[in-house]
Amino acid sequence: MSLLRVEEITKVYDGLRALDRFSLNVEKGIIKGLIGPNGAGKSTLFHLISGIEKPDSGKIYFKDKEITALESHEISALGIGRTFQTVQTLSNMTVIENIMAGMHLRLKGNLLSSGLRLPWTARAEKGALKEAKEILDLLGLLGRWKSPASQLPLGKQKLLELGRALAMKPELILLDEPASGLTSAEGDQLKERIHQFKRDGMTFCIVEHQMGMVMEIADQVAVLDNGRLIAEGPPTVVERDAQVMDAYLKRKRSDA
Amino acid sequence: MVDSDKKQFRKRDFLYVIPLWLLSLIVPDADDLYSFRSKEFKRRELFYLGALLFVPLIWRDPHFHHLMVLAGIYAILALGLSLFLGYAGQISLGHAAFFGIGAYTTAILTTRYGFPPFLAFLISPFVAAVAAYLIGRPILKLKGYFLAIATLGFGEIFQVIVRESTVLTGGVIGIFDIPFFSIGGFSFDTYLKQYYLTWGVLLGLFLYSKNLVRSKMGRAFLAVAASEEAASTIGINVARTKLGVFVIGAAFAGFAGSLFASIMSIANPEAFSLNLSILIVIMVILGGMGNLYGPIFISILLTWLIDILGKYQAWSLPIYGVILILLLIFFPDGIGTRLGIRLIYLISYWSKKKRRDEGKV
Amino acid sequence: MDSWTYLPQLLASGITVGAIYALVALGFVTITRASQIINFAQGEFVMLGGVLTFFLLKDLTPSYLLAASMAIGIVVMVGFLMYLSVIYPLRKAPMLIPLIATLGASIFLSNTSGFLFGTLPKALPPFSGQQPFQIFGVSLLPQSLWVLGATFLLLVLLYLLSHRTLLGKAMEASSTDPLGADLVGISRNRMVFLAFGVSAGTGAIAGILITPIFFTSYNSGTILGLKGFIAAVLGGWGKNTGAILGGFALGILEALSVAFIPAGYKDGVAFAILLLILYFRPKGILGSPFVDSRRW
Repeated sequence: MSLLRVEEITKVYDGLRALDRFSLNVEKGIIKGLIGPNGAGKSTLFHLISGIEKPDSGKIYFKDKEITALESHEISALGIGRTFQTVQTLSNMTVIENIMAGMHLRLKGNLLSSGLRLPWTARAEKGALKEAKEILDLLGLLGRWKSPASQLPLGKQKLLELGRALAMKPELILLDEPASGLTSAEGDQLKERIHQFKRDGMTFCIVEHQMGMVMEIADQVAVLDNGRLIAEGPPTVVERDAQVMDAYLKRKRSDA
Repeated sequence: MVDSDKKQFRKRDFLYVIPLWLLSLIVPDADDLYSFRSKEFKRRELFYLGALLFVPLIWRDPHFHHLMVLAGIYAILALGLSLFLGYAGQISLGHAAFFGIGAYTTAILTTRYGFPPFLAFLISPFVAAVAAYLIGRPILKLKGYFLAIATLGFGEIFQVIVRESTVLTGGVIGIFDIPFFSIGGFSFDTYLKQYYLTWGVLLGLFLYSKNLVRSKMGRAFLAVAASEEAASTIGINVARTKLGVFVIGAAFAGFAGSLFASIMSIANPEAFSLNLSILIVIMVILGGMGNLYGPIFISILLTWLIDILGKYQAWSLPIYGVILILLLIFFPDGIGTRLGIRLIYLISYWSKKKRRDEGKV
Repeated sequence: MDSWTYLPQLLASGITVGAIYALVALGFVTITRASQIINFAQGEFVMLGGVLTFFLLKDLTPSYLLAASMAIGIVVMVGFLMYLSVIYPLRKAPMLIPLIATLGASIFLSNTSGFLFGTLPKALPPFSGQQPFQIFGVSLLPQSLWVLGATFLLLVLLYLLSHRTLLGKAMEASSTDPLGADLVGISRNRMVFLAFGVSAGTGAIAGILITPIFFTSYNSGTILGLKGFIAAVLGGWGKNTGAILGGFALGILEALSVAFIPAGYKDGVAFAILLLILYFRPKGILGSPFVDSRRW
């Protein structure tokens, strides 16, 4: 079943075509890798899908419902979570609060009921605390649950951001360059965990510009260059595609 | 020779260290707020509550009571703004306007239409909240210092309107003879009674704020302050959250204004000026962002400071400006934040300096 | 309608006041371009220019020119001192803090002035006669011409400074790309220091120009500063030309508004314009080079 469908998206920034009639399909339950040289438009795609920016033309569908014009928080409410290339942990809160913040949509309470600490909001808080600790445990961050998030090293902050997205219990997670800045040990841990979550039914779309990590875990890979899709398929096929190599090495086809 | 020098150095250090250490015992560190249900924390809260309840009964100086009443009103103002500025990270330089709206609503309702003060007290924050809602919807779309200036502009426009609408608000002269706050015949006419009224209201609002801050809404505020982008991707409606905090802050100011009118018995435009807005912002900043206790302490401290300076009438305001600047320089994170660590830095800095100086001799 | 006949007169006074707003706005923009800080004490520089000149003229020297020059010099020193004691120590703090600190400085300066020089409004003798003269049915004070002339001269000087001298170019470079300028040896701190001096001087001159027409008292700085800031936003925040355009625009709009609404609301007009501009076109008339996507 197609979970996410991007149709003919174009996004232009001041004359630069970040995305040019780009289309993509993400099936439920797979890990879709998105690779391409720097500046190919990958992060822009994520911004468009998550609603932070709007495309100049084209449509985006999530579970067959059009989300192109929706606001970012509405899109998240539908079940899409994401992380950011430049890690945006909520640095003014503790680690556990970051996770609990991710549960925002799932908790009961509004300005009135939370302020008055009505019984169901108090219960929701306790439940949230417990669940957040479980998520932290899964990611190996439980030991530092009370530390301010800003004190974590970069690798752990990225995990924290992943945890925050997971706390939403989304159906689709967009990971933007999750491995950049990680040591190879941390990268391996991350791969393992993504596999785990995939087994639990999560769909991933991962942007990376380092081929290595994505090729190992993705079921399908799409390659972008200059805002256009230039190859798509299982990693082994894409790896050997001549066009892809050209794009990465910036060779002109005529020179080959 | 070295020993006597060391002794001298220690004695002098005590002068600096002791007051700061005492202060750090009383003012809670913001970091404490991160811990869930830490026992030490609860003991401190009981201490504060006890002090609030009993000190005015022991120290029966009416001037002290009067000061604490004022401090209480400022504390309510600071508390409301602290949610907007300290937690959600948005700046408002026009908060005094909502204070004024609350005060004038109570003044007009009680003096012109004979509303009972208690009813006026309930209506005033509501009016302030509505005003905040109307003004907030367009203004909160602005970011950073544009928002600051827009709120400043709003505050000034409010003052101009109040000054000019002589029929409604009594113009520059204001409204007089506002009846004291009373419930069912019991009138709060002495400073002591007003003290308990004000701080009682503050306590109620404080509990509300504390609950709010330790819930998903509090995290939503902080998230908006940390990263609006990230907040929107976890489902937080940033615009609505900002508006919500703004309205709450305004409602608090409305409560404060209503109390102010019922206690001072007068309401005039000069009391709701830009200077007050700035003062409230400074209270929140010096109290510490992301801290509910700090602003309350600072409002007590600053009220006393202004009172002390008032004795040196002419010098008071210039000194006030200087002290503010100095406080900002030395405590940019707020007095309530990491006082313990700051203490350690100060001690080590001074002792290093001493050793350096001695080394030269 | 009767009000219409007053329009040319209002226009004339509006342009005069507008010139002052333009100078104050220019002061704001100079500092903000160099340091991203809004200096809320800008209006106080203007006030000090007028008040100090009055004081010096009365007690120290009968020479108008000497008193004025000394006053300008003192205000420039005040600007430098303000930088050293307030802005420099807070240079690493988040931008909200120096902003509030400048508010503190504004409180300090205005009240110290009130304390030292008294709270009564001060007037200075006009530069050349008292008699207004008539042009096209509009009555103009000779001082107004001085204001416009001096403003024009000052603008030309500032333009030459920033485009023709090495120092001026360094300041421009530092404001456009602080990191880049730093890398080629232009010290950002020094540029901001100078910006404070330039703004203070500009403000002082504005104060001396305007005091003969509108009296200056210890607290006129605050409202003047706010209006100058609004003028800068109106014309195009962050641009020198914007500050000038905004100043005149605000002066004219404000003066003309008296024909349509009760005079007491005049001060409110400036703030209403501010809110309208921020809501509909935050970049100002000429557009702004600052795209404020950062939180602060």
